[in-house]
Amino acid sequence: MLDIQNVHKSFGKNEILKGVNLTVDKGDVVVILGPSGSGKTTLLRCINFLERADQGTAKFGELTVDLHSASKKEVLDVRKRSAFVFQNYNLFNNKTAIENVAEGLIVGRKIPKVEAYKIAREALDKVGLSEKYDSYPSQLSGGQQQRVGIARAVALNPDVILFDEPTSALDPELVGEVLEVMKEIAREGTTMIVVTHEMQFAKDVAKKVIFMDGGNIVEEGTPHEIFVTPKEERTRRFLRRVLPGEYDFQI
Amino acid sequence: MDSSFINMEFLIDTFFVALSGVPIALLVTVVALLIAMPIGFFLALSRITEVPIVNGFTKVYVSFVRGTPIIIQIFVLYSILPLILAGIFERYNIDFPIYDVNPLWYAFIIFSFNTAAVLVEVFRSALKTVHAGQLEAAYSVGLTTAQAYRRIVIPQMLVSAMPNLCTATINLIKATSLGYAISLQEITLKAKVAANVGYNYLEAYIDIFIVYLILCITVEYLFKVFEKRLSRYKAVATA
Repeated sequence: MLDIQNVHKSFGKNEILKGVNLTVDKGDVVVILGPSGSGKTTLLRCINFLERADQGTAKFGELTVDLHSASKKEVLDVRKRSAFVFQNYNLFNNKTAIENVAEGLIVGRKIPKVEAYKIAREALDKVGLSEKYDSYPSQLSGGQQQRVGIARAVALNPDVILFDEPTSALDPELVGEVLEVMKEIAREGTTMIVVTHEMQFAKDVAKKVIFMDGGNIVEEGTPHEIFVTPKEERTRRFLRRVLPGEYDFQI
Repeated sequence: MDSSFINMEFLIDTFFVALSGVPIALLVTVVALLIAMPIGFFLALSRITEVPIVNGFTKVYVSFVRGTPIIIQIFVLYSILPLILAGIFERYNIDFPIYDVNPLWYAFIIFSFNTAAVLVEVFRSALKTVHAGQLEAAYSVGLTTAQAYRRIVIPQMLVSAMPNLCTATINLIKATSLGYAISLQEITLKAKVAANVGYNYLEAYIDIFIVYLILCITVEYLFKVFEKRLSRYKAVATA
């Protein structure tokens, strides 16, 4: 359903993506792992045109766009088929929770106000924020803000939701509530690409796990293949460092 | 002739004369702001997004306006504009009495020209307070750049611009007093003309002083109320 081919991106002389290919089927949850600087976030941002790739194509169903030279209209089309959940939530500060969720529906997709608010309420109910419709982001905890962020993405009913380290900015005790919501919408069959450092989430929810390093996809496979029987040395080294319970260093 | 230090009767009468100049002062202020705000905003945007040429032009323009006294800008524009226009009109055989134009029009042009430069800096700093993620989030839910600015960025930017916008407005109100130099029928000129008759300058100055003070304090108050309304979403923070 989503087919990304040969994505290249450099910032100055620094080549962040060196020709990445990625295929996602409908209903799949794809988790991208990798050390920082490996290009995971940049890849997501290129798919949603928050960054212009230097080269590459993306196929959303029957819509094929050039990630480098897409027109404004094509960019809008792609963004109508995708949604983004940000590391720092990026809720609209001047809007309440429900306005945050409804904004894209009313302005972006021209859905009538009454219907948009109905959809927005349902989305907020789904992430457990029925009590917080009229709260401004400044009145919400980080976990609540990120759940609004997820509701904002879900309400758009996109082909795919892109999660960019959705729990990295949260206090540890707030991570659980956000992961629960993500598991819930994954169970409902939402197509998701998730960049995360939450290994347990990857093991539990992912259909496919991708390990990136140095701007390339090093290895991809089922959670079992990646976590239990990784083929590449670089993958094994990364997992040794991030998985708890295996101490290969000495104090 | 009245021998007391201050002629109270004249003081009170002239107060109302000065007050009758308020509409013109406010008209010039409002028109200048209305013209300068969109210009200032787009030039600020061009500075931040580093639009070639426009960015450089804006830098020069802002430095020029900031680096010269308003009274000199008034004199220069008031002398040059009619000359240029007269030249153009002559060339195209347009019969227009350029030297009979109401100074109000010059005031509009001069104060817009000046205020736009001030607002470039006001909006530039205010735009920088809006996190880039706000724009990205707006894009990600399918808003166009224009929609994102109108609905997300500008409302937030205005809140942080308010205190400086208030200062700029008050400075502008006070600067309209320089309009007396081009015979603009505003507060200062009216009071001064009244004082000319009996040399009651002290009384006239006191009146002018009080009128501006009342005007500026009122505007300051209105801005405070407006700012509070605009920043509702912040005022409730840290529940």
